[in-house]
Amino acid sequence: MKFGLFYEISVPRPWGSETEKTVYDNCLEQVALADQLGFDSVWAVEHHFLEEYSHCPAPELFLTACAMKTKKMRVGHGIIVCVPEFNHPIKIAERTAVLDILSGGRLDVGTGRSATWTELAGFRASPDETKKTWDEFVHCLPKMWTQERFSYQGRSWSMPQRTIVPKPYQKPHPPLWVAVTSPGTEIDAAERGMGSLGLTFGGFAEQEEKVKRYRKIIRNCTPVGEVVNESVSTVNFLYCHEDDAEGVKTGRRLTGTFNYLAAQLLAAREAYPSKSYPSLGLLPSLRQEASGPGDASGAPEGIGIGNPARILREMKKWEAVGVDRVNFLLNALETVPQQKVLDSLRLFAREVMPHFQGASASTSAAAGGR
Amino acid sequence: MPPRYGKLNLAAWAKSVPTINGYKTEPWLLKGAQIFSLNMEIDDDPADNLLPATMHPSIPEYAIFCVTAYPDSPVGAFSIAEVRVSGRTGVRPRAFVLRSFCNNEDARRELAARWGYPTVPGEVKLDIRHDRVIARASAGGKPVLECELLDRDMISGADIQYIASMHLARNRDDGKLVLVQVDPEFTFSKAERGKPRVLLLDNDAFGAGLNLRLANPISATFTTADVTLPKIRYICNPELPAMQGTTKVAA
Repeated sequence: MKFGLFYEISVPRPWGSETEKTVYDNCLEQVALADQLGFDSVWAVEHHFLEEYSHCPAPELFLTACAMKTKKMRVGHGIIVCVPEFNHPIKIAERTAVLDILSGGRLDVGTGRSATWTELAGFRASPDETKKTWDEFVHCLPKMWTQERFSYQGRSWSMPQRTIVPKPYQKPHPPLWVAVTSPGTEIDAAERGMGSLGLTFGGFAEQEEKVKRYRKIIRNCTPVGEVVNESVSTVNFLYCHEDDAEGVKTGRRLTGTFNYLAAQLLAAREAYPSKSYPSLGLLPSLRQEASGPGDASGAPEGIGIGNPARILREMKKWEAVGVDRVNFLLNALETVPQQKVLDSLRLFAREVMPHFQGASASTSAAAGGR
Repeated sequence: MPPRYGKLNLAAWAKSVPTINGYKTEPWLLKGAQIFSLNMEIDDDPADNLLPATMHPSIPEYAIFCVTAYPDSPVGAFSIAEVRVSGRTGVRPRAFVLRSFCNNEDARRELAARWGYPTVPGEVKLDIRHDRVIARASAGGKPVLECELLDRDMISGADIQYIASMHLARNRDDGKLVLVQVDPEFTFSKAERGKPRVLLLDNDAFGAGLNLRLANPISATFTTADVTLPKIRYICNPELPAMQGTTKVAA
């Protein structure tokens, strides 16, 4: 199992002239360290208008900066909103190709459709249409990346024949992923031969069922791209500390803050009833699972908070249910001081990562030695 | 924690709140209710003045115009028209009820005494046509609300999510102001969605003044459902954030 970082980039009020820059600088410092420590990837969301919760509307720029500061880590869109009012598909193909070139072929492309009325209405996009446009986009993208000439006449967009340049550095093209939030979306991913980029925690039992279903269906998929990306990633929190009580206490503050922020957003379904959004999407699921009662320590099941031994136990359970990669949220509203975040990363890399095949924990000075 | 919380002037608002007879009411099952509900975004900053400090505004804030006809109840048929403002108590979606116009005096009294509904007398009517549903309320013959759902389309009741209400009331037993959570259960037999339109709103009639500024229309629904007005489960101190001031009063 591999480990990555996952960024929403939440910015606390009051917003002074330096606040957003400080948060971005902190994120980039974490990414640079994580690269040295052997973390596998860094992912960034695309969100708009989600005050405090996420100030990350241009992930391609953040990920480019990440790519410039790292040597080995992959950089991933988690996700690009595949709704025409947000992103034109030609621009997606072009931007991702450039980022793949600049990163030396380290790009992963997560796709999705936004789960909040806050964002969808901000762009005047209809919640009824997003699943359809997402499907159309993901069928087009690989062709736009690989065909010398491309033309398209579709339902939500069209273009005459043109040569879309540049082409991605990775051949045939970067791996494609689907954000899995609503129940059943893992089936959408599997049927199309795309990676399952889990953005909810879920319990172990629920996740195991999802993984089984995904792996079974993907064997007979009709891939949208030229390669099948059979991978299951999930998202989690990380705060690792030598003292378990301190780790759980600080970690719970982190999860509580994130969940509180997430709850203030307006989910599409709450405002606009539609079969297109059968569940409440990412945010409430994150909230509920990460706030569960857990054991006597107060640490919810499956969450990466506490001392290395506790986190190792929880990560081993994720590995056992078939997850290939866990991507960690490290902070929310800068609740955890930057130095503590960096120390947590080092401790995790030193004490936990070596217990996993595929996770390339560094034994260098960056991890503090062993 | 984010500094944004409701800024309702509690002292001023408290002058018109109902008195609730404790928190021990039995549920009411109200069969065959016809529920018109319209969501519309409102300007965020002034709307913060319409939420008690217990609540955090949703992002963005929106108003819910809800008009319901109950064909039967323990006190006979009644209809009620409300304006609610969306928010959150802690991490839960909730709506603060500004005022409820009710056309049955017995129902008005019972709803206030049992669940803290901020009821006032009024005429309330649903006008159901093939292409639209029109909801109207008036007080003393003066219209206070008229809104409609246009182009009725069938949807699944499973797609409907009505959020629970928060009622500001004074408890008869100790005289304290309290926010009462009322979270009805709905069993839908029919659901429709359409385009929302607010034709008339008397802000002052709902106590909103200049703080309720309509902005971006969201959706309108019209459903038929059996509604259970439940036992009261939670109350909040209206002066404290919900995380600190919530009390469980029933399982």
